[in-house]
Amino acid sequence: MSSHKTSQRRRTSLLYVVVAILLISWIFPILWAVVVSLKSETEVLAYPPRVVFEPTLKNYNDAIFSSLSIVPSFITSFILSSLTTLLTILLAVPAAYAFARLRLPAKKSAGFYTLVTQMIPPVGLVIPYFLILNQIGWLDTYRGMVTVYLTFSLPFAIWLMISYMEDIPREMEEAAYLDKASRLQTLWYVILPQVRGGIAVTTIFVFLNAWNEFLFAVQLGGNNVRPVTVAMYNFVSVEQTLWAQLAGAALLAMLPVIIIGIFAQKQIVKGLTVGAVKGGGRQ
Amino acid sequence: MNDQKGRVSLRSIEKNFGDFRALKDIDLDIEPSEFFALLGPSGSGKSTTLRVIAGLELPDNGTLTVDGQDITYAQPGERNVAMVFQNYALYPHMTIEENIAFPLKMDEVDKAQISDQVQEAARKVKIDHLLHRRPGQLSGGQQQRCALARAIVRQPRLFLLDEPLSNLDAQLRLETRIELRRLHESMDVTTIYVTHDQEEAMTIADRMAIFLDGDIIQVGTPDEVFNHPKTMDVAAFIGSPPMNLLNANIENGGIGIAGVDALLKPPRDFTGTELVVGVRPSHIRLDSDGIPARLLLSENLGESMLLNTELSDGQIVKLRLPEVRRFSPDEMLALRIDADYVHFFDAKSRERILTGDTRKD
Repeated sequence: MSSHKTSQRRRTSLLYVVVAILLISWIFPILWAVVVSLKSETEVLAYPPRVVFEPTLKNYNDAIFSSLSIVPSFITSFILSSLTTLLTILLAVPAAYAFARLRLPAKKSAGFYTLVTQMIPPVGLVIPYFLILNQIGWLDTYRGMVTVYLTFSLPFAIWLMISYMEDIPREMEEAAYLDKASRLQTLWYVILPQVRGGIAVTTIFVFLNAWNEFLFAVQLGGNNVRPVTVAMYNFVSVEQTLWAQLAGAALLAMLPVIIIGIFAQKQIVKGLTVGAVKGGGRQ
Repeated sequence: MNDQKGRVSLRSIEKNFGDFRALKDIDLDIEPSEFFALLGPSGSGKSTTLRVIAGLELPDNGTLTVDGQDITYAQPGERNVAMVFQNYALYPHMTIEENIAFPLKMDEVDKAQISDQVQEAARKVKIDHLLHRRPGQLSGGQQQRCALARAIVRQPRLFLLDEPLSNLDAQLRLETRIELRRLHESMDVTTIYVTHDQEEAMTIADRMAIFLDGDIIQVGTPDEVFNHPKTMDVAAFIGSPPMNLLNANIENGGIGIAGVDALLKPPRDFTGTELVVGVRPSHIRLDSDGIPARLLLSENLGESMLLNTELSDGQIVKLRLPEVRRFSPDEMLALRIDADYVHFFDAKSRERILTGDTRKD
């Protein structure tokens, strides 16, 4: 009995050790960035790195107010991510419903094609996209960037939403049809409220993906459309890298991601597990 | 209340799912205000028939009329029928009140009126105290009542119930069965009820259609299908336990079973037919002499006993004794068949030739 207890305790402490190692390895770079962002540029280059130093908010000040301010890029990122997310959800929800429920010609191959777009390495698409956007004059425009972002956010969102839609028993829709609801009313009153969790999760993932996107933004954007990921890159130049300023800007850029993560945590977990609980989605 | 509305006619209804012929050629007439059961094993086409009536499946062929109006291809919502699904299909994000109100809301009924009608429907199935809960907070029986309330709230001309009791436990099933019947009598609406449970159909329905492999093999009252099964399949499906079907041979003008000759006198000349004798477990008794049978299993049912026996040729015979007795294992018994209640079937066509007691049909 007692040996059983000790072995259980040993297992628990082992679990804590593993979790601690993982957490430290995840958090360490962020902590390092926080420390660096509070140093002056000369302090950053000091070797060995000093643990005790005089902290400064100059880097944050510069990141926000100087000529290298990332605020305009911040706004750009926000517009770009929001537009992408809005359009993705508006298109993906009905598309996912169609894939999940309607008898469509070539449904399987269309579904497969949608999935294939996720398998191509993005770097292989940069040049074709560049040529196409250049051809139609959409380089360095919101419409060009959003269109490109939709090419990868839409398939992802559709596939995520399909699984949520398929979890809803067909009889629920049939009951609604018998109760004189049209297909659109059924979608609105019966389906959508039940996939709220899925829509929330999809929204978050699509927004974060767009917010974090760098490769397409650096090639297809420019002076007009420069999201924050690209703006930060400007701190790295041939002559010198402004590490402290970069750290400050990076932390600011991370802020929305962290905020969303904290506030949507419950929603994300609920959304990811909703399909696992069968039998009428207990609230 | 409904001026005798709700007459349903199916004519030559066919439905295929790919290569599978779900409904082969269904003709069926259901009378106004009738409680009608569609009975059959799973995959026999009973649920498909119900879904065709509901408009959830469109037939490949044939016509469906209700009160003379052709609705074969009408939208489900245009048919004025209500359905209770096996899994109830309640909307989990709505309260019970919103669930019951949903058909009225879609029908654009006046708001004040909706509230009254919801109350009334909920009271009828005794869930008016649960209106503000959500389906997930209700027991299976309460969910089922909620589904019933949603169906009766808009006073449809047809009530379709798809195995509504199969998700309830045995005790609750018996109680709900009685309530369903009462509800039907108070509403006076044609009710079509799908079940695979013959006992349920026998006790609840005015008439029933027995389905097998996409065909209807018999339509009749519980009494008719029990006492005059049209085929061996009906005989083997109805009754618990169902009828014994024993291969028989005709020799010297008498009918013999399991090597025992001249057990029964043939009511007419059966020469040339491969004969099957059907006899219900309660129409066989133990006697001092008769067909020898070895006892396999005796089940004490409290007031009666069910014996499983094996004849010398390996055929299994079940019989019901009106009293409880003690038996030793493998005991040899002598069975006597009550000649008045014997059914004769043609083994080839599987159809009933005649029944012992009437002698005239």
